[in-house]
Amino acid sequence: MAKIKKKTKPEIIIPTAGMSDIAFLLLVFFMVSTVFVKERGLNVALPRAAEIEKIPRQNAATIYVDRNGTISIDDYLVEIPMVQNIMARKKMENFNVIAAFRTDADASYGIMSDIMNQLRQADVLRVSFEARQRGR
Amino acid sequence: MQRRKRKNLGGIPLISLPDVAFLLLIFFLTTTTFDIKTGLGLVLPPASEHAEERVRLRDENITRIWINQQGIISLDEEPVSPEELESQVRRIMAQNPEMVFSLRTHRQSRYDNMITALDRLRAAGAERISLSTN
Repeated sequence: MAKIKKKTKPEIIIPTAGMSDIAFLLLVFFMVSTVFVKERGLNVALPRAAEIEKIPRQNAATIYVDRNGTISIDDYLVEIPMVQNIMARKKMENFNVIAAFRTDADASYGIMSDIMNQLRQADVLRVSFEARQRGR
Repeated sequence: MQRRKRKNLGGIPLISLPDVAFLLLIFFLTTTTFDIKTGLGLVLPPASEHAEERVRLRDENITRIWINQQGIISLDEEPVSPEELESQVRRIMAQNPEMVFSLRTHRQSRYDNMITALDRLRAAGAERISLSTN
């Protein structure tokens, strides 16, 4: 009689011992993959493009330009003549730096041209214009 | 009764451990944003003082694309739609793969117009693109 009782008992229990392992595994995954955004930036509406490619995050130095022509790098509002020094410093820290423009679609092109001239002076020649995927 | 009490003191309660783990899991699930940066890449020409020698291009190897203040794109002085630009550039590239496309945008033109044109050039397979303004 005692034997029969033992047999029937495990059948009605769902094994939950491994559940916490799974939970911890997922937890560790999300903890490792979470990137907390380090800069607040400016509010921009990115343009849309079809031929976009990924920008490696570790090399990207984001330059925010909003629709009024305000420029922000590392959460500091900067004027156009200051861009050269800032980007030259970034180039010293990381030789493969890519200037990633996060520019509002409604910004005027003139300011972008001025910034790109500054980048050329700072010898930061790899640029990327951030855009969202557009369906064809 | 006494025996039971002693048992409770001996073990660390692990029953609520998965609850804590799940709570943290839900927190990270909701806060994680896979913010992948995407954009159109381009390499700028070096500033003239750094350049050893300025590259001289022959006129027949340059195609001039203008974008005016209103955002109208013109290819060789002829207004084109973005779709037409793409097909025209594709045709030009087939004839001369060395062709340099000079994309000149008006200062007051919207940034979006330049991106649209650049995107179309890329879609048509143009590799050598130069940006300028008036």
